[in-house]
Amino acid sequence: MTCTQERIQLLTDASKHPVFAQFVGELSEDDLSSWLAAELGNANALDHFSPHENVQSKAIAPNHILHIVSGNTPHAAIQSLLRGLLLGSHNTIKIPSSGSPDLVSWIDSLPEQLSQLTITTDNLDSVDWAAADAVIAIGSDRTIESIQKRIQPHQTFIPHGHKLSIGIVTDASEEAASLAARDVSLYDQRGCLSLHAIYVDESDEGSALDFSRLLADAMEDFANHTPPEPLTVSEAGAIHNFRETTRFLAANNDDVGLLESSENLDWTVVYQSSPTLELSCLGRCVYVKPLPPNLDLLGPEARHLSTVALHPFEPATAEKLSHLPAHRICPLGQSQSPSLFWHHDGFAPLASLVRWKDIG
Amino acid sequence: MSPSKELETELLSCLTQGKLPDHTFDELAQRIFSYQLEHNPAYQNYCSAKGISPEAVTYWNQIPALPTDAFKYPDTPVVSFPINQKSHTFLTSGTTSEMRGAHHFPSLALYEASIRHSWNELGLPECSCGIFLTQPPASTPSSSLSHMMGVLEPIIATRSAWILQQDGSLDTETLIRCVAEAQPIFLLGTALSFLQLFDNLTEPLALPEGSMAMETGGYKGSRRELEKAELYTLFADKLGLAENSIINEYSMTELSSQFYTHGIGNSHHGPPWTRIRVIDPRTGAESEQGMPGYLVVYDLANLHSVMAIQTQDIAIAHSDRSFTLIGRDPSALPRGCSRAADTQHPS
Repeated sequence: MTCTQERIQLLTDASKHPVFAQFVGELSEDDLSSWLAAELGNANALDHFSPHENVQSKAIAPNHILHIVSGNTPHAAIQSLLRGLLLGSHNTIKIPSSGSPDLVSWIDSLPEQLSQLTITTDNLDSVDWAAADAVIAIGSDRTIESIQKRIQPHQTFIPHGHKLSIGIVTDASEEAASLAARDVSLYDQRGCLSLHAIYVDESDEGSALDFSRLLADAMEDFANHTPPEPLTVSEAGAIHNFRETTRFLAANNDDVGLLESSENLDWTVVYQSSPTLELSCLGRCVYVKPLPPNLDLLGPEARHLSTVALHPFEPATAEKLSHLPAHRICPLGQSQSPSLFWHHDGFAPLASLVRWKDIG
Repeated sequence: MSPSKELETELLSCLTQGKLPDHTFDELAQRIFSYQLEHNPAYQNYCSAKGISPEAVTYWNQIPALPTDAFKYPDTPVVSFPINQKSHTFLTSGTTSEMRGAHHFPSLALYEASIRHSWNELGLPECSCGIFLTQPPASTPSSSLSHMMGVLEPIIATRSAWILQQDGSLDTETLIRCVAEAQPIFLLGTALSFLQLFDNLTEPLALPEGSMAMETGGYKGSRRELEKAELYTLFADKLGLAENSIINEYSMTELSSQFYTHGIGNSHHGPPWTRIRVIDPRTGAESEQGMPGYLVVYDLANLHSVMAIQTQDIAIAHSDRSFTLIGRDPSALPRGCSRAADTQHPS
């Protein structure tokens, strides 16, 4: 196994490859060293015993990590694999039945010393399960539940189940609409960090209904420079059904409004006066709702919150929202670009995987 | 006679005749559309929002289809009669936390006639004993499936038994006793109830010659799923039923008519008072020949609600009354990150 500094160097070099950088960005040695230091106490914690109060401690990476990933976007899978590679673990990646060509391309972009630490498979056997010291699962709650049943007591289990994100706007400006359009539209809403609804604070002069129109314009602008990926019949059907059901509601109810791209299914904005958080059908379809005075009114879907994107972003306001189930509150426009240092679904991504040995 | 009664009488006559040439279907469909626009305010508002007036429709396939989800909102019932005159309501399946679609009726005369005549189109012989793997209609009055079974009960067999108990268990002893009489049996139930039956049977049960089964409804509310070929293999292994002795029924709470098919890989056919189209939602136009799209059903027997229904099922059209069902659109399920994308359980 390579030492930590060698792996940092390899990953830093690899991140210059455009395919690698497309999903992770370009990494510096400082980034990766700081990341390790932030999570493990120091950047060499995996190589040497280091002082830990009155003992000497060394972090032990899992020899083998099993990553079971979903096919909606490759980003979560790539981040998971990046963590395994930085720790120097062997990584088996269970590819979803629908395939994940971007993930495979990313792995292909790795230098040999890193790619030899990764194996992809579309079918896990009992050996794969038994060999894993840690299992990271990304998928539906139902999938996570079935995986959890196979976890042995000695295995570390990191589940990433169903998640969604929202925006909260207290300054319902064109700038906010533009930032929201980016967070909604990137990756066509396939990821956990994609916004399904924008809540507009109406306590001052803001109006959710007015903001829905600003957002519609911004969605159109975004689609003009970054069109959505081509839709499957199923994806298009979901958007069509969402639009037609909303059209029915809007035609019969003043509390609902429908704004949509014309001649195509590029984007859909739905104004609803009800504050209850609902899942979008994805494909750049987003709700705009008034921010309720009591956030408990968001309803049961709020327990799946991953990120709350706030505009304008002020730490004091963010802290006031920290009682929400979301594990991350970030500036609007950056929901899709989490820091390397974020706690993914509340887990410290490196520290959660390692065990420790103590001397003294 | 009121317009509603006049149309209903005319439709009942068409159902009895069992024939409906294209021009007659089109003429009736357009009259029903006009009637529903006038008497169904929720549908009228929807059509107005789409910019469609009666004059804009010159052929039945231009009639706007309402998505099934529109039946889920109590404040805007999808009815073409005064809601205070409703006599029956069927609800879609769902948990208490989910919104359930409601299909209201002022009377069930047309609905039940459609069920009977749709079945008669199959031309099946009467069996000695009908075994229903559902609860009887009296126990589940809001279930359109149970009600359909109740309408079929006197048609399919000279006597019958309902073997799904209140506690959800199946009374397989009754079935075994029927089998011992060596007379043809007709079994009817959901695909899930048949799986339950197969689980209950400790050893195969050879149904008497001439026996048949009708399965429908998929696996709603369960975590079990099975490819149709696997299900039909179980029918053969557990009951000795060949695939051509098994009928699949396709319908839904929001419709009043049924589409049937025999065996595996064959298309579903609707009765003469129905038409179908398969639409590519990417273009809004009909899918190309042999290509999948979303099934739209035009059911004249839906006189009292809305005749044109946009389903969330994917199908391939073969004619304007037949299609191959691909299945429920996976995107129709609620979804967020990962919810829809990972369709395979880890092996």
